[in-house]
Amino acid sequence: MSVAGPVGSAPAALGRAGAPSRGRGRGVRRWTVDRISLFVVFLGLPLALFLVFVIWPFLQAAFYSLTDWTGLEANYNLIGVGNFVKEFQDQNFTIALRNNLIFALVIPIVTIVIALAFASLITIGGPSRGPMRGIAGSSFYRVVSFFPYVIPAIVIGLIWAQIFDPSSGLLNQALIGLGLPYQAFAWLGEPAVTRWCLMFVVVWGFVGFYMVLFIAGIKGVPAETYEAARIDGCGRFRMATRVTLPLIVENVQTAYIYLGITALDLFVYTQALTPNGGPENTTLVIPQLILRYAFLQGQAGYASAMGVTMAVVTLGYAGLVFLLFRLIRRALGSER
Amino acid sequence: MAPENSSLDRRNFLRAAGTLAVGIPLGVTLASCASGGTGGGATGTKTKNNPFGVADSTTVDAVIFNGGYGVDYVSFAGSIFAKQHSGSKVKVSPSTQIASELQPRFVGGNPPDLIDNSGAQAIGFNSIRKQLEDLTEVINADNLEGTKIADTLYAGVTEPGTYDGKFVALNYVLTVYGVWYSASLFEKNGWTPPTTWDEALELGAQAKSAGKYLFVWGKEAATYYQTLAVDSAIKEGGQELRLALDNLKSGCWSQEPLQKVFTAMKKAIDSGYVKPGGAGTQFTAAQAQWSLDQQALLYPSGSWIENEMKKQTADGFQMTGIPELSLSDNGKYPKTAIRSAAGEPFCVPSSAKSSAGGKELLRIMLSKEAATNFAKTKLAPTIVKDTVPADGFGSTALVSQAKMLSDAGKDTFTFNFVDTYGMNQDQLVLWNTFLSGGSSVAQLTDGLQQITDKIANDDSIKKVTYK
Repeated sequence: MSVAGPVGSAPAALGRAGAPSRGRGRGVRRWTVDRISLFVVFLGLPLALFLVFVIWPFLQAAFYSLTDWTGLEANYNLIGVGNFVKEFQDQNFTIALRNNLIFALVIPIVTIVIALAFASLITIGGPSRGPMRGIAGSSFYRVVSFFPYVIPAIVIGLIWAQIFDPSSGLLNQALIGLGLPYQAFAWLGEPAVTRWCLMFVVVWGFVGFYMVLFIAGIKGVPAETYEAARIDGCGRFRMATRVTLPLIVENVQTAYIYLGITALDLFVYTQALTPNGGPENTTLVIPQLILRYAFLQGQAGYASAMGVTMAVVTLGYAGLVFLLFRLIRRALGSER
Repeated sequence: MAPENSSLDRRNFLRAAGTLAVGIPLGVTLASCASGGTGGGATGTKTKNNPFGVADSTTVDAVIFNGGYGVDYVSFAGSIFAKQHSGSKVKVSPSTQIASELQPRFVGGNPPDLIDNSGAQAIGFNSIRKQLEDLTEVINADNLEGTKIADTLYAGVTEPGTYDGKFVALNYVLTVYGVWYSASLFEKNGWTPPTTWDEALELGAQAKSAGKYLFVWGKEAATYYQTLAVDSAIKEGGQELRLALDNLKSGCWSQEPLQKVFTAMKKAIDSGYVKPGGAGTQFTAAQAQWSLDQQALLYPSGSWIENEMKKQTADGFQMTGIPELSLSDNGKYPKTAIRSAAGEPFCVPSSAKSSAGGKELLRIMLSKEAATNFAKTKLAPTIVKDTVPADGFGSTALVSQAKMLSDAGKDTFTFNFVDTYGMNQDQLVLWNTFLSGGSSVAQLTDGLQQITDKIANDDSIKKVTYK
């Protein structure tokens, strides 16, 4: 790490400035200007910023979730857990929570499976003679599939909203060109398909990035391991599932958690594609509700309660994934 | 960090940070106690030319919604303000995120002097109305030409900004709701604009045979058809029907005129008169299918539609408005009756630094010069009468608005419940399904009633009683 340099070299400087009794072991150290300024700059300041702009708002939100604060007046009353009770009687909230959970179940697994498949093709999917390498033109595919990740999420959303347009969208025009009756099919207006269209867009946007992540993981595996497996007669699919996967399972776990957190949010994508929650609220997500209640309907206390609930759900999700992967690693025999 | 001593030092720092973490919140709490307004600010002497007593050298802080009408009309009034009051000026800040931008200022007790609380991110008036000035004083004052402002306004324009008898929001722009069509297209095809739902359905059949649709809709604007339905029903059932909806009465959506309108709409949908796919179409794209591609004949909307579609309207379109459809010849309101409601609500917070300055700026905006400037540059009438000449500054839509207003005379009405309680988002879902043909009249009615009942039964939401 780049910051390690100055920090690491600090004790030497301290030694010069400090008293000759400078500690062997854990003696009491003197507070010199050097040490104090070092701590203030490298620890105090970041910590203070973190506390003021991250932890403190968290605590505030947790407190406001117990109030009937409108968000527009300085006064509020403590109402205990009333907001949390109201949440689970609010149909909008339960629908949004269900949608978020569906997204958190589907998006990570689909993205990771596709990203892993691509990563395998690009690194070890090549000819079975000679050194281990990817399919022909793999460096080209690697760059191309990373493109979507370079585009901001909101732009991805807006582009796809145009593609899905029933009357003039690229998708329907292409289908009509193939002679199919898609003159007015509303991809973002049919309850049965909208959710899947949204998930497709998210997966499309993320596959490239996670593919690159997995490629890096695979490159870290010694080539001898693959060569040994190949000599033992291992095919490409088996190589991917029995050699690659166990060796990069930690990367997969990280990817799973990141994608899960993204799927529990999805605010940007839903605002671009289905700003009203989609047909029959099939793509309504909790961040959209938080915006609606906090700022448009003057129920900031209630919206804070939703935020707190989401934080708990996200933590629970991460915990579950950790547990799941511990079990998987044990089953794969790569528990360290 | 050298590893041998890191744990001790880290602990020290956590300890120090802990003290800080307790200290800062306390400080913030104290600060927020100290704030919270006295307001009003310095005032000058009240005179005939300065009815609210604006002090000299006042800077009026105006936050204006930067939407279809822009903010330059307020700056225009601001320059008059600067001439009227020596050393004073008006600072106009455009905003599209009124709620999230002003929320901290309201809580902190230092809101601006004048707000145009409009747009998709507007603050619900129900949540701030207690913190706003009563603006009756403004319309009782004389305008710059010396006429009492109240006498220069269209009838009923204070109604949408009045909550439980307190007039807190002055809606500046007059919005006429109607059904809009292309006069040239109708003339070319020999069609007559409909006045009732029966005529509309007949026209739908003619449109279909010409390969066009009667109506088109977009996903964010599906509730324009709710507005059309409610207005049609009010024309049939009168104020009684309107009050049942506004006061969230149980069973209000089952009133007979509403059911008849829903049934007529259902018939249009089932007959294929409504262009399918609207639930997945962005609303301005859908509106362009009407104004540019001319695939649909009619579009129900407010009079902002001309400005909104300015760049996406076919040449020679001749956009014209007609009153929203009636159910029969013997409704409580005549066929010429219209829903006209003032929009762009301006309000003056009581705790503002210079609430007198906010009111004075409003007084100037309501004077002839500023109001005429608005009509001329925005092609929309303000609530001030007689600012639109006969040629409508060359706009057919503006001419038709003036005609609708004069034909209606005193027969104008409006309804409030959707905006007052922020129901639109929930209702959109139902209307998108209904217009797609995915639900029956009974299912639509049930869903709408549930939304109304949910608010009626929620004690934490303050209710407004409409009379």
